[in-house]
Amino acid sequence: MNGGAALLWLACGLGVAAVGVLRFAWSLPHRSAAWNSAGWAALAACVLCGGWSAGAWGVSVAALCTMAAAFAVLAVAGWRAPPGKATGSNRRMGMLPEPGEPHIGRRLVTFLLVMPGGLLAALAIALAVRGSGLALGWGEANANVGGLFAVPLAWGVLCTILLMQARRGQAITLLVCGVAGAPFIVGGMGA
Amino acid sequence: MKLVPSSSTVKNALGAHAAIGLLAGALLYLVCLSGTVLVFYQEWQRAEQSDAPEMAQISPDAVQRGVEAVMASERGKPATTHLYIHLPVAKLPRTTITTDSQAVHLDAAGNVASPEENGWSEFLYALHYTLHLPGLYGMTVVGVLGMLMLALSLSGLIAHPKIFRDAFRLRARHRGGVGLSDWHNRLSVWTLPFGLAIGLTGAVIGLGSVTVYVVADRYYGGDVAAVYATVFGKEAKPDPAKAPLPDVAAALRYMQAHYPQVAVTYATLHDPGTAGQHVQIAGDHPRRLIFGEYYNFDAEGRFEGSAGLADGAIGQQAAASNYKLHFGNFGGLPVKIAYALFGLALTVVCATGVYIWLGKRQRRGVSEPRLRAAWNGVIWGAPAALLVTLAARFALGNAAPFTTIFWSFLAGAILVSVVRGRPAPRGSHGPDRLR
Repeated sequence: MNGGAALLWLACGLGVAAVGVLRFAWSLPHRSAAWNSAGWAALAACVLCGGWSAGAWGVSVAALCTMAAAFAVLAVAGWRAPPGKATGSNRRMGMLPEPGEPHIGRRLVTFLLVMPGGLLAALAIALAVRGSGLALGWGEANANVGGLFAVPLAWGVLCTILLMQARRGQAITLLVCGVAGAPFIVGGMGA
Repeated sequence: MKLVPSSSTVKNALGAHAAIGLLAGALLYLVCLSGTVLVFYQEWQRAEQSDAPEMAQISPDAVQRGVEAVMASERGKPATTHLYIHLPVAKLPRTTITTDSQAVHLDAAGNVASPEENGWSEFLYALHYTLHLPGLYGMTVVGVLGMLMLALSLSGLIAHPKIFRDAFRLRARHRGGVGLSDWHNRLSVWTLPFGLAIGLTGAVIGLGSVTVYVVADRYYGGDVAAVYATVFGKEAKPDPAKAPLPDVAAALRYMQAHYPQVAVTYATLHDPGTAGQHVQIAGDHPRRLIFGEYYNFDAEGRFEGSAGLADGAIGQQAAASNYKLHFGNFGGLPVKIAYALFGLALTVVCATGVYIWLGKRQRRGVSEPRLRAAWNGVIWGAPAALLVTLAARFALGNAAPFTTIFWSFLAGAILVSVVRGRPAPRGSHGPDRLR
């Protein structure tokens, strides 16, 4: 077995061990910083060893091993779970109006702000990432790919933030994104 | 220091999580379900046409003969702009040539053996990639769904401050909604790295066209190809003047001699039969996430250089790593099985999310039997519709109208479920744990 393969096995082993340690730590009646840290440290070591063994490929394989181990532990927990009748949450989400709540118009505005508005803001951020990358000497390929990755990441984060905010906060968030992208959209930066 | 969000933050995040889940629920479910089945894309292709010639390898001269035979069969037709030669690899040991108008299998000697017949696999691929919507529109919609997966992961984490602490707590047999929430939350948290990877790579692939269009419009005079060229390398300038077919065999021999560790997966002939033609060979690198490196050759098979996907800028390597990471074809059958398992878990997460929301409303006295019935129709109708299309493939053949069958069956399943959905006395309809 060569060094890379041994490291990959070690990464997978650390991932499985991390699941076991965290399972133990989170089952304790009181929070144990030591056991929690040990579990998270094993996870971090798993990622590092995976990376050392074969870069992103090694990290991916080690992550799959770790998740598979967690699923196995979870399956045992589900199998052993006794029947119960605890009442689930009935907390309101406010997604659909309940009887007597004619708020469809407000929800439509929220949709427009989050989806088309969020996309435009994310594109502004992407242009800013690309332009800033070029200014920092990333090179054209890195800057363009930075922009490609920035759109879904920024839009996903914006989606969450905008839906958690009141209308005024939403306006400020979108404005900040617009200002960040303005030098690259209307100015000549990033060319 | 503890990072515990305030109760109002948790409440707002839960609202955001529900809003995104309900907005995307059904389509996200379809994309996750089809993606789970699509993990075995190559295996489905082999099952669809089990009598297609298979081989561990094919000689460069046989490939050249195959290219010439296929091009000869297209005389008098509009000239193909791209000719793809899919070379035998372990997961799909076949040689297939695809042009703008046909796809055929070659035998090991390079003779055209039979037309490619993988209609169901392509139907499944299109369902996952575009939801059967037209080209770029479909890809963009699916890209948006990938972005929403990221948003769901983020809002779900904020909305459940104890989600890690409870990561092994699965009250699977609890009724009254608790069991359902536990399944949803546990599967979500343990598929989080997978969900983030799938969501991000899917969103980058799907939304890439929109981003590239904007960047091209702003900085490249509207030339979309010029933006892609910075990452994947550029194509040669077209020259439509007639020319003999390129020497693919020479290019393949060069690969065997100079890159023996690289598994050649396919070759692309750009503008074959014209003076502007050139050959691009994709080679798979072992223990890498990149889909491959592009090795470029001129028409005489002389090596001109590689695109840099394997060893170029980090951005090029990251962009090239999107595909294997998304489709799970980077580690043989064990990785595929893991992807199918986690894909199934994500599908269950999509399904249970809406049931949790319906259950909460029901516990507050807002009963919506038809909405629940419609969701039941989606959840059970979609896999049933997939099975019906698969049955149609083997009963009716490759030309069966899979898309029409799938969507008609699914629409019918939802309709029947809604029509049959009646307000039921409490505790008497559907599995109680689904509330």
